[in-house]
Amino acid sequence: MKPEFGKRSKWIWLVWIVVLLSYVVPYTLLSNVAFWYGSFLFWAVAGLIVIALNVFITKDFEDHSND
Amino acid sequence: MTESLIWWSIAIYLLIAVGIAIMSRQGAAESMSGYFLGNRQMNGFVSALSYSATTYSAFMMVGLAGLTYAGGVGALGFEIIYFAGVSLVAIFGPKFWAVGKKFGYVTPSEMLGHRYNSKHVAMAVSLASCIFLIPYSAVQLAGVGYLLQGITDGAITFTTGVIMATVIAIFFSYIAGIRSVMWTDSLQAIMMIVASTLVAFLVIQGLGGFSALFDTLATEHPQSLTVPGSGLFSFVTFLGLTIPWFFFSLSNPQVSQRLFMPSSLRAMRQMLIGFLVFGFIYTMVSVLWGFSALAAFPSLARADLATPTLLASEFVPPVLGVIVMVGIMAAAVSTIDSIMLTLASMVSRDVYANVKPNVSEKRQLLVGKFVVPVIAILALGFAELQLDLIAVLSVAASSGLVAMVPAIIGAFYWKRGTGAGALVSVVGTSAFVLLMYATGNSLLGLPSGIWGIVVASVLFVGVSLMTKPHQAATDAFFDAISEELGKKRGHKVSPPAQESNV
Repeated sequence: MKPEFGKRSKWIWLVWIVVLLSYVVPYTLLSNVAFWYGSFLFWAVAGLIVIALNVFITKDFEDHSND
Repeated sequence: MTESLIWWSIAIYLLIAVGIAIMSRQGAAESMSGYFLGNRQMNGFVSALSYSATTYSAFMMVGLAGLTYAGGVGALGFEIIYFAGVSLVAIFGPKFWAVGKKFGYVTPSEMLGHRYNSKHVAMAVSLASCIFLIPYSAVQLAGVGYLLQGITDGAITFTTGVIMATVIAIFFSYIAGIRSVMWTDSLQAIMMIVASTLVAFLVIQGLGGFSALFDTLATEHPQSLTVPGSGLFSFVTFLGLTIPWFFFSLSNPQVSQRLFMPSSLRAMRQMLIGFLVFGFIYTMVSVLWGFSALAAFPSLARADLATPTLLASEFVPPVLGVIVMVGIMAAAVSTIDSIMLTLASMVSRDVYANVKPNVSEKRQLLVGKFVVPVIAILALGFAELQLDLIAVLSVAASSGLVAMVPAIIGAFYWKRGTGAGALVSVVGTSAFVLLMYATGNSLLGLPSGIWGIVVASVLFVGVSLMTKPHQAATDAFFDAISEELGKKRGHKVSPPAQESNV
């Protein structure tokens, strides 16, 4: 049977995009922005987005509370 | 801080920790999964805190602050990419959990050995883990020794610090196996997150607030706010550091073994999200410590001194400084005791039980308990010797353990992967990484952190395509995943018709 579980896992690609941007943006666009709102803010926000995406992706784990 | 204040703090910490460890007992654990996995019944909250404490060693508060001091904001980027890599748990966690439950795996190496139908894979993964993680533990111990010696001006010697941490780690493991380790980890994690956040807050206030701190950095150390900045975080170095750490949650057995332990997927979710929130705060705090030290004490002789200097400064009340110091010691202990237990379970389950077939569960557990102090004493010995080689092996740990990653990903996503492919990939990549470090860690201008994953993937895929997969073992493994994860609450699925004999 095709499992119901894990259909949100495709959204993990958004996490990988955040990772990719975490390599690219600070080394290009932000390499001359020597302020707190440069790479510091970028990576901090990237971290928060990763948390939010994980909350979303693992939502259907809740259905497995009694296994 | 006086010597007696430090000893009293350590004594109080031990008293509370031992109390918690004893309370965590739930009858005598007589099985391997009881002792090493908490009977697969760990709740989400304790799992989250313990996962955090195990992952974030003493490296974080001393090393990451030092790395920020020396190289600037790139240290934050490095940690954030590692942190994003833990999202692999959202994808692989339920699969690990499902097969662990179905086949009763105790160790990740046992899982790989079963999936590829090869005892040699299980043994190779276990031994490679020992080669890289025992020196890594030794460096943790040495870190505690240096920290205590440094802060007390030698009143507590290096050796006293190292032996104390070793004894505590063995003790925490012995009281109730993984249960006492996880509960004492939780105490350490809570204590550390509160104390270190308080320190960051006080220091930043002392420096005139967040914007004053960043104004100082922008005018006096503008390079610290960009990458590559002063040059420490060149793009190649950054890649070499981040790629192995991105895979940490899969490659390091002391954390991947945790995926077998939650009582339910709901508990696993709590573990993951709890860890991410904790890790985010801890990362920001460590980086802010490093920045604060740079703004306040820009001319330290070594970047490693950033944290000790900050703790001893007038910004931090002595009692808080001592709490954080004890917390750093506890952080090293919480990392080492988990590594010790994991390695002991691997040696007993995947090496001993494979060399000597048909040994009882009880006998395996006995061997595992015997191996715990052996590993601790090896780490202690390495730490005391202070060999350069050990430092090299420790640094090589993250790159070396990447050797397991293609075999792990292949186990769940590539039915064509074979035992020979996994074996050659693990052994070949470990040897390759060690050779790289022995010869200056540069091949065509790139470090082993970048090469490791490439070599491991090429070996795994290449050798797998040249050999034949074990069909029955592969099918049983994939069937177990769909069976366990396809099952919804209140909706039972009948077991598969044929039970493969693997």
